[in-house]
Amino acid sequence: MSAKTTVAEQLRLERVDGCRWKIPLDPKRGMRVEGLVFADDAMIMPLRDDPCLTQVANVATLPGIVGRSLGMPDIHWGYGFPIGGVAALRTEDGVVSPGGIGFDINCGVRLMRSSLAEPDVRPHLDRLADRLFEAVPSGVGARAGGRRGEAELDQVLRRGAAWAVEAGYGTPTDLTVIEERGRLASADPDQVSSRARSRGKDQLGTLGSGNHFLEVQAVDRVLDADAAAALGLAEGQVTVMIHCGSRGLGHQVCTDHLAVMDRARRRYGIELPDRQLACAPLGSPEGAAYLGAMAAAANFAWANRQIIGAAVRAVFGELFGARAGELPLVYDVSHNMAKIEEHLIDGRRMEVCVHRKGATRAFPAGHPAVPEPYRSVGQPVLIPGDMGRHSMVAVGLPGAMEETFGSSCHGAGRLLSRHAALRQLRGQNLVEQLRRDGIVVRAERRDLLAEEASVAYKDVEAVVRVAAAAGHVLPVVRLKPLAVIKG
Amino acid sequence: MAEVQEPDRGHVATQHTADVGLRAWASDRRTLFEEAAAGLAAISADVDPEAAREAVPVETDGDDLEQLAFTWLNELIGLAEDRRQALCRAEVAELDQDEAWRLRARAWFAPYDGSRVRPRLQVKAATMHGLQVEELPDRWELEAYLDV
Repeated sequence: MSAKTTVAEQLRLERVDGCRWKIPLDPKRGMRVEGLVFADDAMIMPLRDDPCLTQVANVATLPGIVGRSLGMPDIHWGYGFPIGGVAALRTEDGVVSPGGIGFDINCGVRLMRSSLAEPDVRPHLDRLADRLFEAVPSGVGARAGGRRGEAELDQVLRRGAAWAVEAGYGTPTDLTVIEERGRLASADPDQVSSRARSRGKDQLGTLGSGNHFLEVQAVDRVLDADAAAALGLAEGQVTVMIHCGSRGLGHQVCTDHLAVMDRARRRYGIELPDRQLACAPLGSPEGAAYLGAMAAAANFAWANRQIIGAAVRAVFGELFGARAGELPLVYDVSHNMAKIEEHLIDGRRMEVCVHRKGATRAFPAGHPAVPEPYRSVGQPVLIPGDMGRHSMVAVGLPGAMEETFGSSCHGAGRLLSRHAALRQLRGQNLVEQLRRDGIVVRAERRDLLAEEASVAYKDVEAVVRVAAAAGHVLPVVRLKPLAVIKG
Repeated sequence: MAEVQEPDRGHVATQHTADVGLRAWASDRRTLFEEAAAGLAAISADVDPEAAREAVPVETDGDDLEQLAFTWLNELIGLAEDRRQALCRAEVAELDQDEAWRLRARAWFAPYDGSRVRPRLQVKAATMHGLQVEELPDRWELEAYLDV
């Protein structure tokens, strides 16, 4: 009797080199392009029988896909697309798939740098964590102080971070270092349902739960001095990282439009290996409606992170003085988004809709979309790790444009399910363990913190090493957590 | 995470690397959709069933049973967040098919109070990934993955 074949064997996964694995074209599966997964030999081992490889092959069946269906080094099992999935669909005849962006539209990461060094902050960590936990509502059902009226919400959906700055949250300079300046002009608030608006109306300025967090960190290793200097980062410097998205409003936008596309795909004659890949032609009314709603939800997410950033500044100002409260923004990047971009594919310049599901844009030096202060080094790529180890900052390299439509990893990538993490850490006091390592934690449900423990994640440094070895990013600094706020 | 395992009906949370799976079973379709709601409630919050206060009418439809499950679970997720309350349970009054599958039900919610009703996991949505509603020889079964 032969042993059960693994997913890797079924897909005929081939090692290309030390950081690339190819899924050959298989027309019988309906694949239109090859798959390519970035992983080293150690990282691919636990993935050999993982559904994420099938998901890379499934994405390769989408109409209009060009280049390859890609898996970033933090790839893991998602729904429809893998988490860490990237695909480019021709605007001419391709589709848009809401599942390729995810329910948390424009989930992303914001990094702020302080004028403080670790010794300035360490004696006050408990007080700082308490104040941040109070100032930034987190957890399930978190509400902000103010409920937004319909007219105001329309402005948020149209104008994103720019609305927030005009409303007094942050400065105009912030907008210069946010992806797309914190606003997608293609937003169509009319495509955002009343349920979505209702779910989001009092959630602006809230963190949410799950893997979302707010961390006070310190730069504990500079990996590229020139790029670090360009980003205003130096060893020992205290930073703040915020990871969250479009909250209930974005979740509902995806739900609403996914249902529409599930019905519409039959009309367009689209056959799919996974219903979560439901999609519609980019030029169709359903495709246009989704892209307008997605952009509106993305703007909501940018406004959300802008408001949270302002709350963090207020706390730093209150505890450490006005200068410390300035906390200039390093960058704000999205990792769940579809964007219309031009790329050189098989020698031809082509307009495509790049889906990044748990993947970060990583444009290189000289690209016009990279903000002026960073144009000589490349777009900052913010890669959160886990609460017990590190996060990383990198910048995009030309290799990303050549191979991944200017994309890279978005985090460490989960290794264990929530249940497995809880089981592995049963009986351990994670908060005390982290405190012994110098990390202060505040969480809505301390008993569930183990679900997000380091053991549940890959080592982010190993993930970034693969992205660097592939030539997609240049690692710039490593950040260690000092205080962690979890929902 | 709460599990209910009885011979003729039940639900259990199943494993997924990043998210959470849900399997429910029952002897008929109507009870199956009630169990799916109970499973969703158990994943989302720790709730004392006695804490449930108000019943809210819910109506959904779908072209097939999977689409009906998608709209049902997402309607409950949306209602809970909209009300800023925890889903406790649901009773399905009618589940039948004319041109489409239609479901009429009541769902009970309770406000978070930090003791009898405590949030657990923010469920963003029920996905269509691996979504199945199936009649087996001895029972009906539903499988879904929830984005958390």
